Amino acid sequence: MIKKIIACSFFLCTFVATASAQETTDSLLDKLKDKAKEKVKEKLNISGTMGITYEGYGLSRSPSGWTGYQPRRPWNQVRFIFTPTFKFSKNFSLPFNFNFAAIPTNFAGPYAGIKKPSFGQFITNPMNSFGINPKYKWAELQLGTQYLKYSDLSTGDIGIFGIGVDLRPKTFLFKFFTGISQQGINYVAGPPVVTGAYKRKNWMAQIGTEKEGKYLFALNIAKGKDVPTSAAPPPLTIRPQEGVVISLVSDVYVENGIYFKAEGAQSTFTKDVATPLSPVLKSLKPFIEAHTSTLTDYAGQVAVGKKGKKFDLGVMVKYLGAGFQTIGYPFLQSDKLDYTLNTRINAWKNKMNIVASLGQRVNNVNNTALKAKQFIGNLNWFTQFSDKFSLNVNYNNFGFQAASSFNPYGIKNVSNDLGINPTFTFTGKKIIHLISMSYNYSKYDERDVLTGLTTSNNTHTALLTYVPTYLEKEIAPDFSILYFYNDVPGAKITLATLSAALSMQAVKKKMRLRGQLQYTLGKLNSFSNSNNLIASCNIDYKLTKKLTWATFLTTNYYKYGNEIIPNGANYTETTCRTGFQYRFDTKKQK
Amino acid sequence: MKKLIASIAAIFIVTTTMAQVKFNFAILNTQPPAQLSEWGNRRDVLTLLATGQGAAGNQFKIKTEIKTTDGTVIASADLAKTPVFSLNSTGAPLILVANDVMPLEFMVFTGKYKTSLQRTGKLPAGNYIICARPVNITDYTPLGEEQCKNFYLATTQLPILMKPYNEEVMDAKKAQTAIIFRWSPVVPTQPSPVTYRIQVFEVLPTQSPLQALRSNQPLLDKEIVAATQYIWQPQLTFMPYDNETKKLPTFIWTIQSLDATHNPVTQTDGNGEGRSEPILFFINPDKDRKPKKDN
Repeated sequence: MIKKIIACSFFLCTFVATASAQETTDSLLDKLKDKAKEKVKEKLNISGTMGITYEGYGLSRSPSGWTGYQPRRPWNQVRFIFTPTFKFSKNFSLPFNFNFAAIPTNFAGPYAGIKKPSFGQFITNPMNSFGINPKYKWAELQLGTQYLKYSDLSTGDIGIFGIGVDLRPKTFLFKFFTGISQQGINYVAGPPVVTGAYKRKNWMAQIGTEKEGKYLFALNIAKGKDVPTSAAPPPLTIRPQEGVVISLVSDVYVENGIYFKAEGAQSTFTKDVATPLSPVLKSLKPFIEAHTSTLTDYAGQVAVGKKGKKFDLGVMVKYLGAGFQTIGYPFLQSDKLDYTLNTRINAWKNKMNIVASLGQRVNNVNNTALKAKQFIGNLNWFTQFSDKFSLNVNYNNFGFQAASSFNPYGIKNVSNDLGINPTFTFTGKKIIHLISMSYNYSKYDERDVLTGLTTSNNTHTALLTYVPTYLEKEIAPDFSILYFYNDVPGAKITLATLSAALSMQAVKKKMRLRGQLQYTLGKLNSFSNSNNLIASCNIDYKLTKKLTWATFLTTNYYKYGNEIIPNGANYTETTCRTGFQYRFDTKKQK
Repeated sequence: MKKLIASIAAIFIVTTTMAQVKFNFAILNTQPPAQLSEWGNRRDVLTLLATGQGAAGNQFKIKTEIKTTDGTVIASADLAKTPVFSLNSTGAPLILVANDVMPLEFMVFTGKYKTSLQRTGKLPAGNYIICARPVNITDYTPLGEEQCKNFYLATTQLPILMKPYNEEVMDAKKAQTAIIFRWSPVVPTQPSPVTYRIQVFEVLPTQSPLQALRSNQPLLDKEIVAATQYIWQPQLTFMPYDNETKKLPTFIWTIQSLDATHNPVTQTDGNGEGRSEPILFFINPDKDRKPKKDN
């Protein structure tokens, strides 16, 4: 622990020294270049940032030995960022995107539970990015970690470490990328358990034509394939997979704001490459050969609408077949049909703004026995009646209905939320008073599939905020009081929160400070009260024009009522985040 | 008396020649995985015991059929391609599993069931009957009685996240005290109560949402049994609006649905982790002063 802190301090000091040296060099260069200004025209331009941040977390629980509250951050973490863009000329740029952390903290996905990664696993871990994208005119070389989105139905959510190109001569479009999205990770029974993963190789390509803001027509193909021998012992619950998706995208934008977007896709996906080859199922040779676990299904989406200054209207329909699956969107939930109508209205000299959407989602589309329907409705209505008074009203509805197989009643859950938020502003000579009130009513009805009885879960939230703005002072305080009440059969939760914050500038406006105190009194049924106190502080100090030191400190004390055993259980958690950020900016050198 | 002896002898001969192989379903999960290809990976789905004396060197094939409850045959094994089995010479039962009894690569499905299997790997939800009969390896004549068992297939549908809805911008003052999470239940209703593991991850300004989900430690990681709502007291001070990246404090949340043995309720759909499609919500710390949302 001490070694880590010393190491982090060393890193931080080294960083500051390097950044300061860089700055000194910059200023010397500035002077030299000023002198030679008329003789030499410097073309190199550097923008972007680099930085280092240390995060420390502490948790103290009482009584000793009680583990009812678990840590929720890594004890120590150091994050590095290096994202400069070197622009050598109008046509040639070299952007870097290096973001990485010292300690793996993966909880979900293929790297979950990994503690001592190999070099390859470190490089491809989604918490780290190492990307370089040199670009000359219309040709871009993509090296290292890339998060590439080709389209909504082909690939876009995963980071891949590899090599590729993005070529755009005139209106033509050609993209290709290949690499590894995850390394093989051995299963470990634990504790802690490591689920394990297979090494996954990815390929993707796009060919088409595009004129920005006018049209796009493109054909995409994306493939991923697991290496079954890459993990030993192999994961117990994960199967080695292989998938190919081919999609056709077309976007058209007309001058008067009318747009049309459509995409159709076919996926061929093998859920387990260890299953036997199947002569019966469709293969997509040469890309993929069918196994008995291979599925071939379709997806499509269409959006049509008109965008204007005062009025937007759009319709969107999206269908994902039950067997549609793509490596590029690993969490995509298929087997659904969505249709939504969206609108936005600006009226009354832009003092009234209405945003609304209405739609339905059908899950288990092809399965009449278990078809699930959801109604979705949202409305947000803001009106600025005068300089002193504005009102915001919002309403959200989300209903879910489905059969429940053998039970006498189907599933029916309906969530309704209504919010009203008036705001008053009074302007004086030296101060502006802002008073904002907010009331929210949330109702959640849930039907019991055995008895048919519906239980209601009602929540009331009331908030009062006061924000004085001093016109002649550099301080900005705010105060709020909140009341929260949730009532469900068997449980009543009441929370009352008092909060105060103060922001100010100091040291000739080089330092920005913000502190906040928050106290919450809670009560569950007839148990004794719980108490929660949170104190936090942000300090942003501008060491030089380009170098900033940002620090965030917070401590949270929580003491339970007698609803849990042992009585009097409490914990204190503290978080410290401090780091330096250097901003590259050589625009003056031009 | 001679006639009686002759009759008994005749019955014995017929019995020994017509019913030389006896099948017995030792295990048949009445609610097996909807993904038929997954049956072969699971020992608990189907086990068939074969005993008795087989013809032609104790060898036989299995004539497997899947029927709907009205008796319509929707799939049958292509006996020309199915494997040959031999009975244990010791008399001990031969243990056969799903891949032996129902080799998918040699099963011929019909009509809409074939289409459904090709597109989804599953059959339409409903009740089915699986029947297996031992047959001669050359002329496929029956060597024993047909054994049948009922089973029910239904695609497990993971929860849909309802609240906070996707890309909802929440007031920091309210969110600091409590955030309500709601989701739809697993469909169809499971035999044992489902444990919903709710996870909330902070998306750092330099991360994409899914990158955060796959790499960060969750700020909330809580298991809730058989309920579809959770009120979270975050006990956090949300970071202010990031002027550098122009992003609001962003969070991504998901639900992992676990069965009674703490395994994902479905390991064959989507990500294999039983995790619902995650969605985002934003916290606006400066709503009363300067509402901004550039995400």
